[in-house]
Amino acid sequence: MRLIWAKYKYKLLIFLSVLGPSVITTMAGNDGGGVITYSLAGAKLGYSALFILPFLILLYAISQEMGSRLAIVTGKGLGDLVREGYGIKIASFVFILILLANFGTLLTNIAALKISGEMLNLPVIPLMIGAIVMSFLLLTKSSYEKSQKIFLTGMIFYFAYVFSAVKGNPDWVESVKSLVIPKLNFFSKESFLINMAVLGTTITPWGQFFVQSYMKDKKVLIENLGFAKIESYFGAFIAIFFTFFIMLATAATLYVHNVPLESGEQAAQAIRPFAGEFASILFGIGLLNAAIIGMVIVSLSSAYAFTEFFGFSGSLDEPFNKSKTFYRIFLINNIIAALLVITPFFPLFKIVLYTQSLNAILLPVFFYYILKIINNKELMGVNTNTKFYNILAYGAAILIVVASIITVLVGILS
Amino acid sequence: MIYFSELKGKDVFTEDKIKIGKIEDLIFLASEKPNVSKLVVKDPTDKRLIIPTSFLKKIHNSILIGKEFETSELVENELYLVKNILDKQILDLQGNKIVRVNDVLLQDKDGFYISGVDTGLLGILRWLKLEKYFIKFSNYLHLKTSSSFLSWADIQPLELSRGQVKMRKDEKKLEKLRPEDLADYLEKTNVVNTNKILKMLDEKFAAEVIGNLNINFQTSLFKQFNPEKAAKIIELIDSDDSVDILLTISSKKRDQIIALLNSTKNKEILHLISLSKTPIGELISTEYFTVNPEETINDVINRIKIETADFSSLNSIYVLNKEKQLVGVFTPHELLLQDRDTPVYKFMIQNMIVIHLSTPVEISLKKMFKYKLATLPVVDSYKHILGVLTSDDAAKFMLNKLP
Repeated sequence: MRLIWAKYKYKLLIFLSVLGPSVITTMAGNDGGGVITYSLAGAKLGYSALFILPFLILLYAISQEMGSRLAIVTGKGLGDLVREGYGIKIASFVFILILLANFGTLLTNIAALKISGEMLNLPVIPLMIGAIVMSFLLLTKSSYEKSQKIFLTGMIFYFAYVFSAVKGNPDWVESVKSLVIPKLNFFSKESFLINMAVLGTTITPWGQFFVQSYMKDKKVLIENLGFAKIESYFGAFIAIFFTFFIMLATAATLYVHNVPLESGEQAAQAIRPFAGEFASILFGIGLLNAAIIGMVIVSLSSAYAFTEFFGFSGSLDEPFNKSKTFYRIFLINNIIAALLVITPFFPLFKIVLYTQSLNAILLPVFFYYILKIINNKELMGVNTNTKFYNILAYGAAILIVVASIITVLVGILS
Repeated sequence: MIYFSELKGKDVFTEDKIKIGKIEDLIFLASEKPNVSKLVVKDPTDKRLIIPTSFLKKIHNSILIGKEFETSELVENELYLVKNILDKQILDLQGNKIVRVNDVLLQDKDGFYISGVDTGLLGILRWLKLEKYFIKFSNYLHLKTSSSFLSWADIQPLELSRGQVKMRKDEKKLEKLRPEDLADYLEKTNVVNTNKILKMLDEKFAAEVIGNLNINFQTSLFKQFNPEKAAKIIELIDSDDSVDILLTISSKKRDQIIALLNSTKNKEILHLISLSKTPIGELISTEYFTVNPEETINDVINRIKIETADFSSLNSIYVLNKEKQLVGVFTPHELLLQDRDTPVYKFMIQNMIVIHLSTPVEISLKKMFKYKLATLPVVDSYKHILGVLTSDDAAKFMLNKLP
């Protein structure tokens, strides 16, 4: 087993190094908050939770592809385009929303970091400090190319979920069947709400923002637009591929044994008695990695937003001195979030809920601008959406918006 | 001076008070002197009228245009301010992002043209109508707020029509600038660079630019010039300024230069230097009042009441920037003509007549009378104010000279 792993690890690394922004963004979408939501879905709905996944790939692929196309054709981030097209007032408004919403997502990631620390029996505060210092050094000391490689390598840890799921002895035939044939409990109210939450944690404003900024920094030539398209589709596929295993890990254990659950955090922690010590540790490592990647990428998207909207120099490729504002935002965001998470009595889940509502408000705003800009002939030339694609995109946008609004309403009402 | 953020959305009236619409955009010539040629006015039915600025009667407070105005079209070489400059990213020559254009500065004295772009935080706050509060708040905390500007001289107009706001470095284009602007621009670089650029210009224009530089730059430059070159430049610039410069360099080099001058200039300069025996330092007073550019008229009046109570007189108010450099001046009369909440930088006079400690008394007095000024600031080579020469001091000096 180890020999096979050693043999393929190298090939896998090369394969991953060809990929870039879309894959990093979509994989980061399986962040701490994402993993927790997916585990909850698996634990509550069992194999039925898997039915939504093929559909999710489609939506994810479309939204990611539009973001990376905008970046390659215009050479600008979403922040640049909104500021230049719609002026400072709208830009400031959107910026404040995204800053708050991202801060909420950052909180969930640091909370996930804490949970993974508890699962792995690691001291929480040193773990947080270590994670923040490490990600800061990673961003300040390395170039775009290097940081991208590190992100991609970090994704190997997502295989922890695959092993964790395998250890739980799932019913493989059943799970594959569930992807195409809906089970009876898919049509329940509980299932609907959980599926909405899954959708809302997968397709996010920060993900949309990040893929475009990161792609812009990569300076991909317009000739390679076709390749970038494939990359977006592949990114969506690979991210949901791992989502499949996260759901499977809890479906095969917690759902099958009918363990009553209140929240996603419990789901992650309740695996141990059923899947065994090793699987539980793997799951913890996966969550730890997801939380750190989430922390880095979400704060980066805040920093990108700031520099794009207000035009201060900011890019991963610039040395620390030139991009001070960029990195300062990163650091301040993380430190405040960490302090809040370790504060006893801090109403973390209430705050997270409110900031998730902001995500839901932002997503329609983002899709409005994305669709408007991507269909602007002056900016996009021949690369505007085709009619068919527009129908798909508008359909996806409306669905995502409805999903996020319902999620928020339910959260507030319950 | 006026900001575009202050014009956008403002109502436009004809002279007989009929409302035409609101200012939506401005059209300007993409050239070294970016004259604003047309206003884009959105009428109540959302139609856009393009009105040449030749019909513009008044721009401050309310915008008035002539009764019989005609509309026009965008022509070649013209660009829209909103579409082509505002909110755009400024790139340096390598194409790196530097800053964003947050606001555009318009000059309405001697024509109506774009003088530069605001790239600072205040530019953003101005659009959000928060500038005033922010300045008040930072004054309250005793923090100095400062604006960041880029002069039009730093931007390549040609790149604008290609959709890019790019910094300029192509030094050949510099001759098309006004000597004052170029001098300001050069003072931001260093002496070596300045000398390099001056060498590319024709002599007359270079001399004009040198005349507009500060004394520190002038002295350093003359130290580098050989006597022949220095003499040529001396012949081209104002005698009073020349004496100022000559007095700061070594007497050996000074004599060499003077020997090379033509006879009329030679006589004039020698005469002025012979007058320079009285040091100005004995004459100047340190009783002067300074403000910073962001203070409002209200602030200034309140401070005058408190801080100048024991002054013998107050004829000029000096404006210092964050680095304590003298950047403007105005008289109490000019102050009283303004609205209460106008900030100082909007009306101060930036083109100033100054003297130095090395300036002979006679030349200082000549300058004072020639430009009909009640006071003259004495500054050092860093533009820091050392004192003022007042007309009272001048009168005292004259009185002693009279038989």
